[in-house]
Amino acid sequence: MYRTVCGIHYMTPGTDNHGLFENLRLELRRGSLVLAVLAALRKEQYGYTLRKTLSEQGMAIDEGTLYPLLRRLESQGLLVSEWREEEKRNKRFYRLSSEGKVILKQLLAEWQSISTSLNGML
Amino acid sequence: MDLVDSYVRAVAKALPEEQREDISRELSEDIRSELEDRQRELGRDLTQAEQEALLRQRGNPLLLAARYRQDQRSLTIGRELVGPVLFPFYVKVLSFNLGLTLVVIGAIFLALLAGGQRIGFREIVSTCLLQLFIQLAIVTVIFFLVQTHLTKHPDRWHLKGMSGGMALDLNIERDIASAAKSQRKDWGPKVSRFESISIIVACAVAIAWITGVQKYPFLILGPAASLLKLAPIWYQIYFPILLLTVAEIVRAFINLVRPDWVLFRLIYRILVHAGGLAVAYALLRAGSWVVGADGGANPPAGDNGAVEILNQVLYWGLLFSVILSAGMLVFRIVDLVLRWRRRESRGVRATAN
Repeated sequence: MYRTVCGIHYMTPGTDNHGLFENLRLELRRGSLVLAVLAALRKEQYGYTLRKTLSEQGMAIDEGTLYPLLRRLESQGLLVSEWREEEKRNKRFYRLSSEGKVILKQLLAEWQSISTSLNGML
Repeated sequence: MDLVDSYVRAVAKALPEEQREDISRELSEDIRSELEDRQRELGRDLTQAEQEALLRQRGNPLLLAARYRQDQRSLTIGRELVGPVLFPFYVKVLSFNLGLTLVVIGAIFLALLAGGQRIGFREIVSTCLLQLFIQLAIVTVIFFLVQTHLTKHPDRWHLKGMSGGMALDLNIERDIASAAKSQRKDWGPKVSRFESISIIVACAVAIAWITGVQKYPFLILGPAASLLKLAPIWYQIYFPILLLTVAEIVRAFINLVRPDWVLFRLIYRILVHAGGLAVAYALLRAGSWVVGADGGANPPAGDNGAVEILNQVLYWGLLFSVILSAGMLVFRIVDLVLRWRRRESRGVRATAN
């Protein structure tokens, strides 16, 4: 997918394709970020370690995006959080709620289906 | 207060009140975790500059706070005039201004009614609408300018944030980094060019307005302009006010070219403030600020009552303003003296070292 979009970029010089590509890339990632966050929170983590985990897995996300997303997911009932002391500091730990687990399972199935379809087309 | 606290506080000021504490705690925790992580990697404490760089990466506190907000409304007329980042502040400032305007207009109408004047419903509506339109236009233009600045320079952390939930406090001269650095500087952080430009624009608008009031008293008296007129004192103080406003424009121009002339601004503002206070005192001493439309010689009984009530209201308003202004002048002088003393003590310590 990445190579295809870049190919178009180089074939049509003189247009602002880089900006367009960036927008499309962000759009693509935005959708998959929710899935990545939910998947990473199968194991309880606090914000900073979650950010590191995602980054190490190639899904880097800035804190200005992650924390509002966590709040939204929590308000939707997909995550639960609690403040707890660790290493002498209070940290907010997040994990999937039971509803979140169900949704994650459904989203993963959808993801697999999209991926299979796309792979067939590409 | 360390840099992290300053940053978190700057973000917190722009957060919705119900989430403020919770988000601030988590943000503070996240930043401190990252700082510790970096320190572990480097095997030493981070320098001030490294901490600043780390906070800079997180971006403008105002923009960061906006990402937490659910409310993404904006003001768009053809193009976006006030974006979602500033929109909540815009609404608050506008509500405050419009509320105040309605109170003032209401007071004028009540004074006229108490004086036995007959006022038509249409007159009340047209006056309110005109005043509201003027306020709306002014506030929108100011926010549009701030929005343009923010869009153009999101990396300049000029916004100090909300103050007491009442007003947008644009302390342009201070960003997070310069707030920390100001302890080391002689007279304080540099004067922001944006602040200088804003003052020039605001003073130019003020000059246009006070000049317009001379010809069109309706601009200040509203519907009462057909029954009342400004007392001679206003015409006597016109030139001193004009002079002080022009002096402020000159000062802003100088600081636009030389933002590092902080001491110059401190002293100059004290002088201009003292001049303003003298003018306000002269105004207060006049004793009468509005007269009947016929010059006050033989006003009808109803007009006379309205004039008396309005003059009483103006007296207390002016007295309050003069006291407040005197207090601010004292504060500015004390601030200058304290800065001078801090500078002296640092000089002594530097010599001793």
